[in-house]
This record gives sequence, C-alpha cells and structure tokens, in this order.
Amino acid sequence: MKKQFFKIPIIFFTFILSIFLYLLIIDRNPSEIPSNLLNKNVPKFVTKSLFNSKKFFSEEEFGNETTIVNFFATWCKPCRDEHVYIKGFAKEKKVRVIGINYKDDPEKAIQWLKEFGNPYSNVAIDKNGKIAIDWGVYGIPETFLISSNAIIQYRHVGPITKKIYKKINLIIEKTD
Amino acid sequence: MKNKNLIIIMCLLIQFNLHDCYAVEPNEILKNAKQEERARNISKNIRCMVCQNQSIDESSASLAKDLRILIREQIKDKKKDDEIYKFLTDRYGDYILLKPPFKPNTLALWLLPLIFCIIGLFIVIINNKKSKKLIKNI
Repeated sequence: MKKQFFKIPIIFFTFILSIFLYLLIIDRNPSEIPSNLLNKNVPKFVTKSLFNSKKFFSEEEFGNETTIVNFFATWCKPCRDEHVYIKGFAKEKKVRVIGINYKDDPEKAIQWLKEFGNPYSNVAIDKNGKIAIDWGVYGIPETFLISSNAIIQYRHVGPITKKIYKKINLIIEKTD
Repeated sequence: MKNKNLIIIMCLLIQFNLHDCYAVEPNEILKNAKQEERARNISKNIRCMVCQNQSIDESSASLAKDLRILIREQIKDKKKDDEIYKFLTDRYGDYILLKPPFKPNTLALWLLPLIFCIIGLFIVIINNKKSKKLIKNI
C-alpha cells in the first residue's frame, strides 16, 4: 500500500511532462490569445469611410452576408505581405471584404490601395484605435470572419499566410 | 575595492530606479490627484497585450497608451472600477488581468499549488516517521 502511495508523485510528474510535450508538439502560437468576441455579435460603431463622404455604419455593413474584416495600416509591413490573400478573398467573391484602416493617414491609405489594389468593398477609418479596442485587437494585421447574422466566427492575429488562407476558406464553406 | 563598492552602489541605484519606471506620459496625467491614483491602480492590474509580461502602466506600446487614455476617460465619465475592468475583460478576456480571477475555469490555477504543497507535506511527514522508526531500530 505504502509503495503504491509513493508512485503518486511519479504518476503526477509523468502526467505533467506529457502535457508539456503535447503542447510542444502541436501546431500553436503560444503568444496568440483567443478572442473573447468569438460567437458574439459584431461591435457597433459609426465612423468615417475612407473613400466617400458617407459615414460608415457597422449595423448597415454587417449581418447581410458572410464578411471578412481586416485591420490594416500603410505603416504595417505584414499588412503588405498578406494583401495578396485579402485580394484573393475578394476575387473569389465568396465573401464581402471590409477594411478597417488603423491609426493611419487617410491620404496615404488611399494611395497605398491604389498601388497594391483595393480588395475592400468599404473601408472604415479608426483614427485613434478605439474601434480596434472594441474588437479586442492587440496587434495588426488582424482578420475576423463574420457570419451572415453578424456573429464573429473566427479571428486571426498576424499576417495571413497560405495555410491560414486555406483554413479561413474552409471555415467560410462551413459557415455557408 | 573602492571601484567594487561603487559598482555595487550603482547597481542598487539602478535597481531602485527600475521600480519607478512608468510609461505614463505627462499629457496623460489627470489633474484630479484622486482620479489619477485610481487610473494608476487600475493600469497596474492590466496586462499589456503586446508585451504580455508588463502592465500597461509600465509599457510604452501604442495599445498600452490607448488603454491608459481610455481608462482615464472612463474615470472622468464617473465609471466605477468594476465597470472599467468589465469593459476591458469583455473585449480582451480575463487574460488582460494580471491577477486572474477565482472562477471555475481558473480553479486548477489557484488550487493546484496548494494541492501539491499538501501532497509534498504528506510525503515529508511519512518519510520523517519512517526515518524515526529506522533510528529507533538501530
């Protein structure tokens, strides 16, 4: 009985070690924090639109079809890297793509989109970063997938890569 | 020898100075001292989501500054501390709190160290009894 009792710490240690090993092996980014807004409604906000004098009303933009929301800025190098994939989403026409221009100069942003191509059907201006805080954004680029009933389905922190692009497309198919 | 002492004193001074390193900029500080103190206390409990190991009071990241300003705005709007914490956790989750709350999903985090301590203590007591018996037998 006593011998078995002394086995408990060894079992505990092996159990904890196997958890650590499992976390090391699986494909995950330990610094990525899961969004608290998943499966919740899109935050409501009103702001200026980048391209026209009309205001950007979130309630009008979300809730009609599956939408991708991309927080970007011209000063953000990874945003340029992922831009090809954002254009890919727009080209495939499965979803609507909305941009939120984060803490940027609007004129530079217009120029940037002219240069690299504009995949966004509308771009909201987040001049002081308050919209980003409402979305729980902590490091741009960040991309959200919104269902047709305005629920946040998925969030990706960092630039979209080929792998993430495929992953988001799979989620879009499931959402449809 | 003198140089050694000087180095030790300098290291200690740097150490003490580091404790008072805050990222709060003069234009962020509220005129009302009580409100400012509240803002500082809340900021010290809020994790910088960019640096992740610093509070927003210590971090010079852009998001940390935005959150410090937001907290001060909410204090000026006469929001209570709980309301401010709720505003932040609604958006960033409990992870934004440097001290995790005592909740069903954090039970393991709070109780496991205690459980391990009890197990350790138990093992020490049993071992103690065993060794006493051995000594008696000798």
